[in-house]
Amino acid sequence: MPRIAPLIKKELGSLFNTPMAYILGVTFLVFQGVWFFFLYRFPVMNEASLRGYFGLMPGVFTALVPALTMRSWAEEMRLGTAELYLTLPYREGELALAKLLASFLLLTLLLALTLPVPLTLSSLGDFDPGEILGQYLGILLLGAAAVSVGQFASVLTTNQMSAFLLGFFSLLALTTAHLAAGAPGLPDGAAGVFRYFSLSAHYESFRKGVLDSRDLVFFLLVPVLFQLLTVRVLVWRKWR
Amino acid sequence: MIEAQSVGKSYGSFVAVRDVSFSVLPGEILGLLGPNGAGKTTIMRILTGYHFPSRGRALVGGVDVTRDPPAVKAMVGYLPENAPVYGEFTVAEYLDFVAGARRIPGKDRREAVEKAVESCGLSPVYRRGIEKLSKGYRQRVGLAQAILHDPPILILDEPTAGLDPNQIVEIRRLIRALGTRKTLILSTHILREVEALCDGIVILNEGLVAARGTREEIADRMKGDERYRVLITQGPPVTRESLAEVRDAKGVESLSPHPGGGWEALVLFPSGSSGGEALFDWAVERGHKLGSLAREDQGLESLFSRLTEEDHA
Repeated sequence: MPRIAPLIKKELGSLFNTPMAYILGVTFLVFQGVWFFFLYRFPVMNEASLRGYFGLMPGVFTALVPALTMRSWAEEMRLGTAELYLTLPYREGELALAKLLASFLLLTLLLALTLPVPLTLSSLGDFDPGEILGQYLGILLLGAAAVSVGQFASVLTTNQMSAFLLGFFSLLALTTAHLAAGAPGLPDGAAGVFRYFSLSAHYESFRKGVLDSRDLVFFLLVPVLFQLLTVRVLVWRKWR
Repeated sequence: MIEAQSVGKSYGSFVAVRDVSFSVLPGEILGLLGPNGAGKTTIMRILTGYHFPSRGRALVGGVDVTRDPPAVKAMVGYLPENAPVYGEFTVAEYLDFVAGARRIPGKDRREAVEKAVESCGLSPVYRRGIEKLSKGYRQRVGLAQAILHDPPILILDEPTAGLDPNQIVEIRRLIRALGTRKTLILSTHILREVEALCDGIVILNEGLVAARGTREEIADRMKGDERYRVLITQGPPVTRESLAEVRDAKGVESLSPHPGGGWEALVLFPSGSSGGEALFDWAVERGHKLGSLAREDQGLESLFSRLTEEDHA
Protein backbone atom coordinates (compact mmCIF):
# COMPACT_ATOMS: atom_id res chain seq x y z
CA MET A 1 0.00 0.00 0.00
CA PRO A 2 2.76 2.55 0.73
CA ARG A 3 3.90 1.86 -2.82
CA ILE A 4 0.78 3.36 -4.32
CA ALA A 5 0.38 6.12 -1.72
CA PRO A 6 1.89 8.75 -4.07
CA LEU A 7 -0.57 7.68 -6.78
CA ILE A 8 -3.53 8.01 -4.44
CA LYS A 9 -2.30 11.40 -3.32
CA LYS A 10 -2.07 12.52 -6.92
CA GLU A 11 -5.60 11.33 -7.68
CA LEU A 12 -6.97 13.13 -4.64
CA GLY A 13 -4.98 16.20 -5.62
CA SER A 14 -6.53 16.02 -9.07
CA LEU A 15 -9.99 15.85 -7.56
CA PHE A 16 -9.44 18.64 -5.05
CA ASN A 17 -7.61 20.95 -7.44
CA THR A 18 -10.69 21.14 -9.62
CA PRO A 19 -14.08 22.49 -8.51
CA MET A 20 -15.78 19.16 -9.18
CA ALA A 21 -15.22 17.61 -5.76
CA TYR A 22 -16.52 20.71 -3.96
CA ILE A 23 -19.55 21.10 -6.18
CA LEU A 24 -20.47 17.46 -5.75
CA GLY A 25 -19.82 17.52 -2.02
CA VAL A 26 -21.98 20.56 -1.35
CA THR A 27 -24.74 19.34 -3.65
CA PHE A 28 -24.75 15.96 -1.97
CA LEU A 29 -24.92 17.30 1.58
CA VAL A 30 -27.53 19.94 0.80
CA PHE A 31 -29.65 17.47 -1.12
CA GLN A 32 -29.47 14.90 1.68
CA GLY A 33 -30.46 17.55 4.24
CA VAL A 34 -33.34 18.90 2.20
CA TRP A 35 -34.58 15.42 1.46
CA PHE A 36 -34.42 14.19 5.04
CA PHE A 37 -35.76 17.18 6.90
CA PHE A 38 -38.20 18.72 4.43
CA LEU A 39 -39.30 16.06 1.98
CA TYR A 40 -39.08 12.97 4.15
CA ARG A 41 -40.19 15.26 6.99
CA PHE A 42 -38.13 13.52 9.62
CA PRO A 43 -38.98 16.09 12.34
CA VAL A 44 -42.65 15.04 12.33
CA MET A 45 -42.06 11.33 11.70
CA ASN A 46 -41.61 10.47 15.34
CA GLU A 47 -38.96 7.83 14.66
CA ALA A 48 -35.51 7.51 16.15
CA SER A 49 -33.86 6.08 13.06
CA LEU A 50 -31.89 7.27 10.06
CA ARG A 51 -33.50 4.81 7.68
CA GLY A 52 -35.03 7.76 5.89
CA TYR A 53 -31.69 9.51 5.59
CA PHE A 54 -30.02 6.49 4.06
CA GLY A 55 -33.04 5.33 2.09
CA LEU A 56 -32.42 7.51 -0.93
CA MET A 57 -28.65 7.22 -1.00
CA PRO A 58 -28.36 4.34 -3.48
CA GLY A 59 -30.35 6.47 -5.91
CA VAL A 60 -28.23 9.54 -5.18
CA PHE A 61 -25.09 7.50 -5.70
CA THR A 62 -26.12 6.48 -9.21
CA ALA A 63 -25.49 10.11 -10.22
CA LEU A 64 -22.96 11.21 -7.60
CA VAL A 65 -20.45 8.41 -8.02
CA PRO A 66 -20.13 8.51 -11.83
CA ALA A 67 -19.66 12.27 -11.52
CA LEU A 68 -16.75 11.61 -9.15
CA THR A 69 -15.17 8.93 -11.32
CA MET A 70 -15.91 10.07 -14.88
CA ARG A 71 -12.66 12.05 -15.20
CA SER A 72 -10.47 9.33 -13.77
CA TRP A 73 -9.30 7.48 -16.90
CA ALA A 74 -11.28 9.22 -19.62
CA GLU A 75 -9.65 12.59 -19.07
CA GLU A 76 -6.16 11.09 -18.84
CA MET A 77 -6.73 9.29 -22.13
CA ARG A 78 -8.06 12.43 -23.79
CA LEU A 79 -5.20 14.66 -22.63
CA GLY A 80 -2.54 12.02 -23.22
CA THR A 81 -1.42 12.09 -19.58
CA ALA A 82 -2.39 8.42 -19.42
CA GLU A 83 0.86 7.84 -21.24
CA LEU A 84 2.70 9.39 -18.31
CA TYR A 85 0.59 7.62 -15.73
CA LEU A 86 0.84 4.21 -17.36
CA THR A 87 4.60 4.45 -17.83
CA LEU A 88 5.22 4.96 -14.13
CA PRO A 89 6.97 1.90 -12.68
CA TYR A 90 3.84 0.11 -11.48
CA ARG A 91 1.66 -2.77 -12.57
CA GLU A 92 -1.67 -1.93 -14.17
CA GLY A 93 -3.39 -3.38 -11.12
CA GLU A 94 -1.67 -0.90 -8.83
CA LEU A 95 -2.38 2.03 -11.13
CA ALA A 96 -6.07 1.10 -11.28
CA LEU A 97 -6.28 0.37 -7.57
CA ALA A 98 -4.90 3.82 -6.75
CA LYS A 99 -7.65 5.49 -8.74
CA LEU A 100 -10.28 3.22 -7.22
CA LEU A 101 -9.11 3.91 -3.68
CA ALA A 102 -8.79 7.65 -4.26
CA SER A 103 -12.38 8.00 -5.42
CA PHE A 104 -13.51 5.71 -2.61
CA LEU A 105 -11.65 7.88 -0.09
CA LEU A 106 -13.31 10.97 -1.43
CA LEU A 107 -16.70 9.31 -1.15
CA THR A 108 -15.84 8.24 2.39
CA LEU A 109 -14.98 11.84 3.19
CA LEU A 110 -18.35 12.98 1.86
CA LEU A 111 -20.06 10.40 4.04
CA ALA A 112 -17.97 11.48 7.03
CA LEU A 113 -19.34 14.96 6.49
CA THR A 114 -22.83 13.60 7.09
CA LEU A 115 -21.83 12.47 10.59
CA PRO A 116 -23.08 15.67 12.22
CA VAL A 117 -26.60 14.52 11.34
CA PRO A 118 -26.60 11.38 13.55
CA LEU A 119 -24.39 13.09 16.15
CA THR A 120 -26.78 15.98 16.67
CA LEU A 121 -29.90 13.86 16.41
CA SER A 122 -28.69 11.18 18.81
CA SER A 123 -29.26 13.47 21.79
CA LEU A 124 -32.87 13.97 20.74
CA GLY A 125 -34.05 10.40 20.84
CA ASP A 126 -33.31 6.80 21.46
CA PHE A 127 -31.25 5.97 18.34
CA ASP A 128 -29.75 2.51 17.98
CA PRO A 129 -25.99 2.99 17.49
CA GLY A 130 -25.73 -0.49 16.02
CA GLU A 131 -28.25 0.35 13.34
CA ILE A 132 -26.47 3.58 12.44
CA LEU A 133 -23.16 1.76 12.28
CA GLY A 134 -24.72 -0.84 10.00
CA GLN A 135 -26.13 1.91 7.81
CA TYR A 136 -22.75 3.55 7.41
CA LEU A 137 -21.05 0.25 6.75
CA GLY A 138 -23.70 -0.60 4.17
CA ILE A 139 -23.46 2.70 2.36
CA LEU A 140 -19.67 2.49 2.34
CA LEU A 141 -19.82 -0.96 0.79
CA LEU A 142 -22.39 0.21 -1.72
CA GLY A 143 -20.15 3.19 -2.42
CA ALA A 144 -17.13 0.97 -3.04
CA ALA A 145 -19.15 -1.11 -5.49
CA ALA A 146 -20.47 2.00 -7.24
CA VAL A 147 -17.00 3.56 -7.45
CA SER A 148 -15.61 0.43 -9.06
CA VAL A 149 -18.38 0.51 -11.66
CA GLY A 150 -17.67 4.21 -12.26
CA GLN A 151 -13.95 3.56 -12.70
CA PHE A 152 -14.67 0.83 -15.17
CA ALA A 153 -17.00 3.11 -17.12
CA SER A 154 -14.25 5.75 -17.21
CA VAL A 155 -11.61 3.37 -18.55
CA LEU A 156 -13.86 2.44 -21.48
CA THR A 157 -13.99 5.88 -23.06
CA THR A 158 -11.96 9.03 -23.66
CA ASN A 159 -14.94 11.27 -23.09
CA GLN A 160 -15.98 12.32 -19.58
CA MET A 161 -19.63 12.71 -20.50
CA SER A 162 -19.77 9.22 -22.02
CA ALA A 163 -18.07 7.88 -18.91
CA PHE A 164 -20.65 9.59 -16.74
CA LEU A 165 -23.61 8.32 -18.73
CA LEU A 166 -22.21 4.82 -18.94
CA GLY A 167 -21.62 4.78 -15.19
CA PHE A 168 -24.97 6.36 -14.45
CA PHE A 169 -27.02 3.90 -16.48
CA SER A 170 -25.00 0.92 -15.28
CA LEU A 171 -25.53 1.92 -11.68
CA LEU A 172 -29.17 2.73 -12.33
CA ALA A 173 -29.64 -0.76 -13.72
CA LEU A 174 -27.78 -2.30 -10.79
CA THR A 175 -29.69 -0.37 -8.14
CA THR A 176 -33.10 -1.07 -9.65
CA ALA A 177 -32.55 -4.65 -10.78
CA HIS A 178 -34.67 -5.97 -7.90
CA LEU A 179 -37.65 -4.01 -9.22
CA ALA A 180 -37.39 -5.92 -12.49
CA ALA A 181 -37.52 -9.11 -10.45
CA GLY A 182 -41.13 -8.30 -9.65
CA ALA A 183 -42.19 -8.16 -13.28
CA PRO A 184 -45.20 -10.40 -13.88
CA GLY A 185 -44.55 -13.64 -15.74
CA LEU A 186 -40.82 -13.61 -15.08
CA PRO A 187 -39.41 -17.09 -14.43
CA ASP A 188 -38.25 -17.59 -10.87
CA GLY A 189 -34.67 -18.16 -11.95
CA ALA A 190 -34.45 -14.86 -13.80
CA ALA A 191 -36.11 -13.02 -10.94
CA GLY A 192 -33.54 -14.51 -8.60
CA VAL A 193 -30.72 -13.31 -10.81
CA PHE A 194 -32.14 -9.80 -10.96
CA ARG A 195 -32.56 -9.76 -7.24
CA TYR A 196 -29.04 -11.05 -6.67
CA PHE A 197 -27.44 -8.35 -8.81
CA SER A 198 -29.39 -5.51 -7.28
CA LEU A 199 -27.13 -3.28 -5.21
CA SER A 200 -30.03 -1.84 -3.26
CA ALA A 201 -31.44 -5.25 -2.42
CA HIS A 202 -28.15 -6.14 -0.73
CA TYR A 203 -27.94 -2.71 0.81
CA GLU A 204 -31.43 -2.96 2.27
CA SER A 205 -30.48 -5.25 5.13
CA PHE A 206 -27.63 -2.95 6.14
CA ARG A 207 -30.03 -0.01 6.08
CA LYS A 208 -32.21 -1.86 8.57
CA GLY A 209 -29.14 -2.48 10.69
CA VAL A 210 -28.90 -6.16 9.86
CA LEU A 211 -25.55 -7.67 8.94
CA ASP A 212 -25.82 -10.57 6.51
CA SER A 213 -22.62 -12.28 5.41
CA ARG A 214 -24.09 -12.98 1.95
CA ASP A 215 -24.57 -9.26 1.39
CA LEU A 216 -21.09 -8.62 2.70
CA VAL A 217 -19.63 -11.12 0.25
CA PHE A 218 -21.61 -9.60 -2.61
CA PHE A 219 -20.33 -6.12 -1.84
CA LEU A 220 -16.76 -7.35 -1.68
CA LEU A 221 -17.09 -9.27 -4.95
CA VAL A 222 -18.39 -6.35 -7.00
CA PRO A 223 -15.37 -4.03 -6.57
CA VAL A 224 -13.01 -6.95 -7.11
CA LEU A 225 -14.81 -7.88 -10.32
CA PHE A 226 -14.81 -4.36 -11.74
CA GLN A 227 -11.24 -3.71 -10.68
CA LEU A 228 -10.23 -6.86 -12.56
CA LEU A 229 -12.24 -5.75 -15.60
CA THR A 230 -10.58 -2.34 -15.51
CA VAL A 231 -7.14 -3.93 -15.41
CA ARG A 232 -8.15 -6.26 -18.25
CA VAL A 233 -9.02 -3.27 -20.40
CA LEU A 234 -5.72 -1.55 -19.58
CA VAL A 235 -3.69 -4.63 -20.43
CA TRP A 236 -5.76 -5.38 -23.51
CA ARG A 237 -5.04 -1.87 -24.79
CA LYS A 238 -1.31 -2.58 -24.64
CA TRP A 239 -1.68 -5.60 -26.89
CA ARG A 240 -4.41 -4.24 -29.07
CA MET B 1 21.22 -1.13 -23.93
CA ILE B 2 18.16 -1.00 -26.15
CA GLU B 3 17.35 -3.53 -28.78
CA ALA B 4 14.45 -3.85 -31.18
CA GLN B 5 14.33 -7.23 -32.90
CA SER B 6 11.95 -7.34 -35.86
CA VAL B 7 9.42 -5.35 -33.89
CA GLY B 8 5.98 -4.98 -35.44
CA LYS B 9 2.84 -3.39 -34.14
CA SER B 10 -0.69 -3.35 -35.49
CA TYR B 11 -3.66 -1.44 -34.14
CA GLY B 12 -6.54 -3.54 -35.37
CA SER B 13 -6.09 -3.76 -39.11
CA PHE B 14 -3.80 -0.73 -39.18
CA VAL B 15 -0.12 -1.64 -39.31
CA ALA B 16 1.84 1.09 -37.55
CA VAL B 17 5.20 -0.69 -37.49
CA ARG B 18 5.96 -3.52 -39.87
CA ASP B 19 9.42 -4.76 -39.09
CA VAL B 20 11.94 -2.65 -37.29
CA SER B 21 15.28 -3.72 -35.86
CA PHE B 22 17.98 -1.57 -34.36
CA SER B 23 20.10 -1.37 -31.27
CA VAL B 24 21.42 1.44 -29.17
CA LEU B 25 24.67 1.17 -27.26
CA PRO B 26 25.05 2.59 -23.76
CA GLY B 27 25.72 6.32 -23.87
CA GLU B 28 24.63 6.64 -27.47
CA ILE B 29 22.13 9.18 -28.75
CA LEU B 30 19.96 7.64 -31.40
CA GLY B 31 17.72 9.70 -33.62
CA LEU B 32 14.54 8.17 -34.97
CA LEU B 33 13.87 10.11 -38.09
CA GLY B 34 10.87 9.86 -40.31
CA PRO B 35 7.80 11.59 -41.61
CA ASN B 36 4.59 11.62 -39.59
CA GLY B 37 3.05 8.17 -39.48
CA ALA B 38 6.38 6.43 -40.03
CA GLY B 39 6.04 4.58 -36.73
CA LYS B 40 8.35 6.61 -34.51
CA THR B 41 5.86 7.15 -31.72
CA THR B 42 4.75 3.54 -31.82
CA ILE B 43 8.34 2.34 -31.43
CA MET B 44 8.80 4.65 -28.47
CA ARG B 45 5.58 3.48 -26.88
CA ILE B 46 6.83 -0.06 -27.14
CA LEU B 47 10.24 0.77 -25.66
CA THR B 48 8.61 2.52 -22.70
CA GLY B 49 6.29 -0.38 -21.92
CA TYR B 50 3.20 1.66 -22.78
CA HIS B 51 2.25 -0.68 -25.61
CA PHE B 52 3.34 -4.21 -26.34
CA PRO B 53 4.70 -5.25 -29.74
CA SER B 54 2.47 -7.46 -31.90
CA ARG B 55 5.53 -9.16 -33.37
CA GLY B 56 9.19 -9.42 -32.54
CA ARG B 57 10.96 -8.52 -29.32
CA ALA B 58 12.05 -5.34 -27.65
CA LEU B 59 14.72 -5.39 -24.97
CA VAL B 60 15.44 -2.45 -22.72
CA GLY B 61 18.43 -2.81 -20.44
CA GLY B 62 18.32 -6.53 -21.25
CA VAL B 63 14.70 -6.85 -20.11
CA ASP B 64 11.94 -7.93 -22.50
CA VAL B 65 9.34 -5.15 -22.37
CA THR B 66 6.46 -7.62 -22.24
CA ARG B 67 8.10 -9.71 -19.52
CA ASP B 68 8.60 -7.12 -16.79
CA PRO B 69 7.12 -3.74 -17.73
CA PRO B 70 7.59 -2.11 -14.31
CA ALA B 71 11.32 -2.89 -14.42
CA VAL B 72 11.54 -1.38 -17.90
CA LYS B 73 9.57 1.67 -16.86
CA ALA B 74 11.86 2.17 -13.87
CA MET B 75 14.90 2.35 -16.17
CA VAL B 76 13.33 4.76 -18.60
CA GLY B 77 12.49 8.45 -18.51
CA TYR B 78 9.86 9.24 -21.11
CA LEU B 79 8.63 12.40 -22.72
CA PRO B 80 5.53 11.41 -24.72
CA GLU B 81 4.52 13.11 -27.94
CA ASN B 82 3.07 16.61 -27.46
CA ALA B 83 4.35 16.61 -23.86
CA PRO B 84 1.04 15.99 -22.08
CA VAL B 85 0.80 17.64 -18.66
CA TYR B 86 -1.39 17.54 -15.59
CA GLY B 87 -2.71 21.08 -15.79
CA GLU B 88 -4.41 21.00 -12.43
CA PHE B 89 -1.12 20.88 -10.51
CA THR B 90 1.65 23.38 -9.94
CA VAL B 91 5.10 22.43 -11.20
CA ALA B 92 6.14 21.85 -7.58
CA GLU B 93 3.19 19.59 -6.79
CA TYR B 94 3.59 17.62 -9.98
CA LEU B 95 7.31 16.98 -9.65
CA ASP B 96 6.80 15.99 -6.03
CA PHE B 97 4.25 13.44 -7.19
CA VAL B 98 6.59 12.07 -9.85
CA ALA B 99 9.41 11.81 -7.32
CA GLY B 100 7.13 9.80 -5.05
CA ALA B 101 5.78 7.62 -7.82
CA ARG B 102 9.32 7.01 -9.08
CA ARG B 103 10.08 5.91 -5.53
CA ILE B 104 12.95 8.27 -4.96
CA PRO B 105 13.75 7.91 -1.24
CA GLY B 106 12.37 10.75 0.88
CA LYS B 107 15.74 12.20 1.77
CA ASP B 108 16.88 12.46 -1.85
CA ARG B 109 13.62 13.81 -3.19
CA ARG B 110 14.29 17.46 -2.63
CA GLU B 111 17.66 17.27 -4.28
CA ALA B 112 16.30 15.34 -7.25
CA VAL B 113 13.52 17.85 -7.80
CA GLU B 114 15.90 20.78 -7.41
CA LYS B 115 18.28 19.29 -9.92
CA ALA B 116 15.59 18.64 -12.50
CA VAL B 117 14.10 22.10 -11.99
CA GLU B 118 17.48 23.70 -12.41
CA SER B 119 18.59 21.78 -15.48
CA CYS B 120 15.25 22.37 -17.20
CA GLY B 121 15.17 26.04 -16.25
CA LEU B 122 11.89 25.76 -14.38
CA SER B 123 12.75 27.89 -11.35
CA PRO B 124 10.79 30.95 -12.55
CA VAL B 125 7.55 28.94 -12.77
CA TYR B 126 8.10 26.46 -9.94
CA ARG B 127 5.04 27.57 -7.96
CA ARG B 128 2.85 28.24 -10.98
CA GLY B 129 -0.03 26.12 -12.20
CA ILE B 130 1.01 24.01 -15.16
CA GLU B 131 -2.20 24.86 -17.02
CA LYS B 132 -1.11 28.47 -17.35
CA LEU B 133 2.41 27.75 -18.61
CA SER B 134 3.56 28.41 -22.15
CA LYS B 135 4.15 25.57 -24.56
CA GLY B 136 7.90 25.88 -23.99
CA TYR B 137 7.61 25.59 -20.24
CA ARG B 138 5.21 22.66 -20.52
CA GLN B 139 7.73 20.89 -22.68
CA ARG B 140 10.33 21.50 -20.01
CA VAL B 141 8.00 20.19 -17.32
CA GLY B 142 7.73 17.06 -19.44
CA LEU B 143 11.49 16.83 -19.65
CA ALA B 144 11.89 17.47 -15.93
CA GLN B 145 9.57 14.59 -15.04
CA ALA B 146 11.48 12.36 -17.45
CA ILE B 147 14.89 13.01 -15.91
CA LEU B 148 13.77 13.36 -12.30
CA HIS B 149 14.73 9.84 -11.25
CA ASP B 150 18.03 10.06 -13.11
CA PRO B 151 17.18 7.12 -15.40
CA PRO B 152 19.92 5.47 -17.45
CA ILE B 153 17.68 5.65 -20.51
CA LEU B 154 15.78 8.61 -21.89
CA ILE B 155 13.15 8.36 -24.59
CA LEU B 156 11.99 11.70 -25.96
CA ASP B 157 9.25 11.88 -28.55
CA GLU B 158 9.65 15.05 -30.61
CA PRO B 159 11.21 17.01 -27.76
CA THR B 160 11.39 20.26 -29.70
CA ALA B 161 8.03 20.14 -31.47
CA GLY B 162 6.12 23.37 -31.21
CA LEU B 163 8.90 25.38 -29.63
CA ASP B 164 10.25 28.68 -30.88
CA PRO B 165 13.86 28.84 -32.13
CA ASN B 166 15.29 30.11 -28.85
CA GLN B 167 13.56 27.40 -26.89
CA ILE B 168 14.76 24.81 -29.37
CA VAL B 169 18.34 25.90 -28.85
CA GLU B 170 17.91 25.60 -25.09
CA ILE B 171 16.25 22.21 -25.20
CA ARG B 172 18.93 20.92 -27.55
CA ARG B 173 21.62 22.13 -25.21
CA LEU B 174 19.91 20.29 -22.39
CA ILE B 175 19.55 17.11 -24.44
CA ARG B 176 23.19 17.25 -25.46
CA ALA B 177 24.21 17.61 -21.82
CA LEU B 178 21.98 14.69 -20.84
CA GLY B 179 23.33 12.63 -23.70
CA THR B 180 26.81 12.61 -22.24
CA ARG B 181 25.60 10.52 -19.32
CA LYS B 182 22.63 8.62 -20.66
CA THR B 183 21.44 6.39 -23.42
CA LEU B 184 19.00 8.46 -25.37
CA ILE B 185 16.51 7.97 -28.14
CA LEU B 186 14.79 10.94 -29.61
CA SER B 187 12.40 11.16 -32.48
CA THR B 188 11.98 14.00 -34.86
CA HIS B 189 10.96 14.86 -38.35
CA ILE B 190 13.47 17.67 -38.39
CA LEU B 191 16.70 16.61 -40.04
CA ARG B 192 18.78 19.33 -38.53
CA GLU B 193 17.96 18.02 -35.11
CA VAL B 194 19.39 14.63 -35.86
CA GLU B 195 22.50 16.14 -37.36
CA ALA B 196 22.92 18.40 -34.35
CA LEU B 197 22.42 15.81 -31.65
CA CYS B 198 22.65 12.20 -32.65
CA ASP B 199 25.44 9.62 -32.86
CA GLY B 200 23.32 7.19 -34.80
CA ILE B 201 20.30 7.54 -37.00
CA VAL B 202 17.46 5.24 -37.87
CA ILE B 203 15.32 6.50 -40.68
CA LEU B 204 11.82 5.08 -40.56
CA ASN B 205 9.33 5.06 -43.36
CA GLU B 206 5.93 3.40 -43.36
CA GLY B 207 6.81 1.16 -40.47
CA LEU B 208 10.12 -0.05 -41.89
CA VAL B 209 13.73 0.95 -41.39
CA ALA B 210 14.64 2.88 -44.52
CA ALA B 211 18.25 3.41 -43.47
CA ARG B 212 20.35 3.18 -40.35
CA GLY B 213 23.83 4.04 -39.25
CA THR B 214 25.82 7.15 -38.54
CA ARG B 215 25.25 10.18 -40.68
CA GLU B 216 28.34 9.27 -42.72
CA GLU B 217 27.33 5.66 -43.12
CA ILE B 218 23.92 6.61 -44.38
CA ALA B 219 25.49 9.07 -46.78
CA ASP B 220 27.85 6.31 -47.97
CA ARG B 221 25.03 3.91 -48.55
CA MET B 222 23.24 6.49 -50.55
CA LYS B 223 26.34 6.97 -52.61
CA GLY B 224 25.17 4.49 -55.19
CA ASP B 225 24.87 7.58 -57.35
CA GLU B 226 26.89 10.73 -57.72
CA ARG B 227 24.98 13.73 -58.88
CA TYR B 228 26.36 16.61 -60.88
CA ARG B 229 24.56 19.86 -61.39
CA VAL B 230 25.58 21.40 -64.66
CA LEU B 231 24.62 24.72 -66.22
CA ILE B 232 24.95 24.75 -70.00
CA THR B 233 24.93 28.28 -71.31
CA GLN B 234 25.63 27.99 -75.02
CA GLY B 235 25.61 25.54 -77.90
CA PRO B 236 23.02 23.36 -79.61
CA PRO B 237 19.79 22.50 -77.75
CA VAL B 238 20.27 20.06 -74.89
CA THR B 239 17.92 17.10 -74.60
CA ARG B 240 17.80 14.11 -72.34
CA GLU B 241 18.92 12.04 -75.29
CA SER B 242 21.98 14.17 -75.90
CA LEU B 243 22.85 14.09 -72.21
CA ALA B 244 22.57 10.33 -72.22
CA GLU B 245 25.62 10.29 -74.48
CA VAL B 246 27.79 11.59 -71.66
CA ARG B 247 30.41 8.96 -70.86
CA ASP B 248 29.39 6.75 -67.90
CA ALA B 249 26.18 8.71 -67.29
CA LYS B 250 23.56 6.59 -65.55
CA GLY B 251 20.66 8.89 -66.04
CA VAL B 252 19.32 12.39 -66.05
CA GLU B 253 17.46 13.33 -62.94
CA SER B 254 16.25 16.66 -64.22
CA LEU B 255 16.64 18.95 -67.19
CA SER B 256 15.10 22.36 -67.40
CA PRO B 257 15.68 25.64 -69.18
CA HIS B 258 17.65 28.01 -67.00
CA PRO B 259 16.02 31.39 -66.27
CA GLY B 260 19.19 33.21 -67.35
CA GLY B 261 19.35 31.30 -70.65
CA GLY B 262 20.64 27.82 -71.39
CA TRP B 263 19.75 24.65 -69.53
CA GLU B 264 20.29 23.27 -66.12
CA ALA B 265 20.60 19.54 -65.63
CA LEU B 266 21.18 17.04 -62.84
CA VAL B 267 23.11 14.07 -64.18
CA LEU B 268 23.68 10.84 -62.29
CA PHE B 269 26.85 8.76 -62.39
CA PRO B 270 27.75 5.52 -60.68
CA SER B 271 29.92 6.09 -57.64
CA GLY B 272 33.63 6.19 -58.34
CA SER B 273 33.31 7.42 -61.88
CA SER B 274 34.68 10.80 -62.80
CA GLY B 275 31.45 12.42 -63.86
CA GLY B 276 32.84 15.94 -63.85
CA GLU B 277 35.44 15.14 -66.45
CA ALA B 278 32.97 13.21 -68.55
CA LEU B 279 30.56 16.12 -68.58
CA PHE B 280 33.33 18.52 -69.50
CA ASP B 281 34.53 16.33 -72.38
CA TRP B 282 30.97 15.93 -73.58
CA ALA B 283 30.41 19.69 -73.58
CA VAL B 284 33.61 20.38 -75.49
CA GLU B 285 32.86 17.67 -78.04
CA ARG B 286 29.38 19.04 -78.74
CA GLY B 287 30.32 22.69 -78.65
CA HIS B 288 28.56 23.61 -75.39
CA LYS B 289 29.78 26.16 -72.96
CA LEU B 290 29.44 25.38 -69.29
CA GLY B 291 28.34 28.12 -66.89
CA SER B 292 28.98 25.93 -63.90
CA LEU B 293 29.62 22.33 -63.02
CA ALA B 294 29.45 21.03 -59.49
CA ARG B 295 29.00 17.82 -57.61
CA GLU B 296 25.88 17.91 -55.44
CA ASP B 297 26.45 17.41 -51.76
CA GLN B 298 24.44 14.47 -50.53
CA GLY B 299 23.15 16.28 -47.43
CA LEU B 300 20.85 14.37 -45.14
CA GLU B 301 18.05 16.58 -46.30
CA SER B 302 18.15 15.29 -49.85
CA LEU B 303 18.94 11.77 -48.66
CA PHE B 304 15.96 11.89 -46.49
CA SER B 305 13.51 13.06 -49.05
CA ARG B 306 14.84 10.44 -51.46
CA LEU B 307 14.68 7.73 -48.83
CA THR B 308 11.15 8.43 -47.93
CA GLU B 309 9.90 9.06 -51.42
CA GLU B 310 11.26 5.89 -52.95
CA ASP B 311 8.26 3.88 -51.85
CA HIS B 312 5.84 6.20 -53.52
CA ALA B 313 7.75 6.37 -56.80
